[in-house]
Amino acid sequence: MALSFSFENELVALLPRLRRFAHGLSRSPADADDLTQATIERALRSRDQWRPGTRLDSWAYRIMRNLWIDTARARSRRDRVEAPEEEAERVGQDPTAGMDAAVDLSRMMLAMQRLPDEQREVVALILIEGFGYRETAEMLDVPIGTVSSRLVRGRTALLEMVGA
Amino acid sequence: MVTDETFFAWLDGELDGEEAKRVVAEVDADPALAEKAEQHRALQRRLASAFGTVASAPLPESLIGAVRPKREVIDFAAAKRSRQSRGGWSGFPQWAAIAATLAVGIFVGTMVPHQSGDSVTVEGGKVYAAAALDQALTTQLASAPAGETRIGLTFRDQSGQICRSFIAPAGSGLACRDGQRWQVRGLFGAPEGQTESYRMAAGMDPSLAALIESAMADEPFNSAQEKAAREKGWR
Repeated sequence: MALSFSFENELVALLPRLRRFAHGLSRSPADADDLTQATIERALRSRDQWRPGTRLDSWAYRIMRNLWIDTARARSRRDRVEAPEEEAERVGQDPTAGMDAAVDLSRMMLAMQRLPDEQREVVALILIEGFGYRETAEMLDVPIGTVSSRLVRGRTALLEMVGA
Repeated sequence: MVTDETFFAWLDGELDGEEAKRVVAEVDADPALAEKAEQHRALQRRLASAFGTVASAPLPESLIGAVRPKREVIDFAAAKRSRQSRGGWSGFPQWAAIAATLAVGIFVGTMVPHQSGDSVTVEGGKVYAAAALDQALTTQLASAPAGETRIGLTFRDQSGQICRSFIAPAGSGLACRDGQRWQVRGLFGAPEGQTESYRMAAGMDPSLAALIESAMADEPFNSAQEKAAREKGWR
């Protein structure tokens, strides 16, 4: 008997990974789930644009990334008046080794938030989602050298913020 | 002196052959560089484990509902049990009745019917293998492919569950034991125009490889361990 995965089921099976990517990009779990929800809705509406047989995951990741860019731009215009100093100070505190992964998530999300958008997306796609440089470059529509240099800056800044 | 770009490309497994060897030689000769490699490996492990908690958590109801808003059905047997528990069993602690009702509520809300022949199904916020995929994961050994689904690696994850990777023309993925079922941790659709033999020759999907890498606690099972695990019901 052959395996078959309907569009919906493949999308549902992708959700845990899409949700993780959303957490890498967003500043709160609530924002991440809103972004995931918006991505699903967009994917369902645009499903004619997905060609069966091509990778659903790269397609869905790209949708999420584009939605995030749109909302992030709108938000940064809105938030420009707010000073992020207080949040910034919290990141570096208490670098407890072997802490609970779920607790560490909020710390890592906060640190990711302090990266510029173009570094954050590259760090999330490669270091968290496990995509290769080439796939990431294709998804973001930038040269592979750009991916590589953004990744250097992003991971270096991240390590400085959280320790290892 | 190796550039940062080249150093990290090596660390991320993006270099091969001579280029990789050159970086290895530099790292071996330079304790500061070796330390930097270790720090960045630790950072990556920490990212994987922190964000991994999101990927392994049950999905919120709202997200599954967003994919299949019209596919929810009511499980009548569960609804009946719910009525009985609400009817009040004397001596039955009230919190237990509330908990039971709550559990039933969640169950009813997340029931998604099998689509005929579909190889995954969603229940309780988790994606499970179904039909032919479930059968292949439960019965097949890597050494003895049957039909068009092949089993790749079998191993234990960090929480001790047995996980198995699979590959078929429709897609490849990773599933881990969750009670009597296989929870699908990742599913990767087949790229266009790739036949099974092509995929076999080209090796594993890099995203699947990354997923396995981040989940595997130790070493993959050898064929004797795989067989023994099957006999013990993948516990």
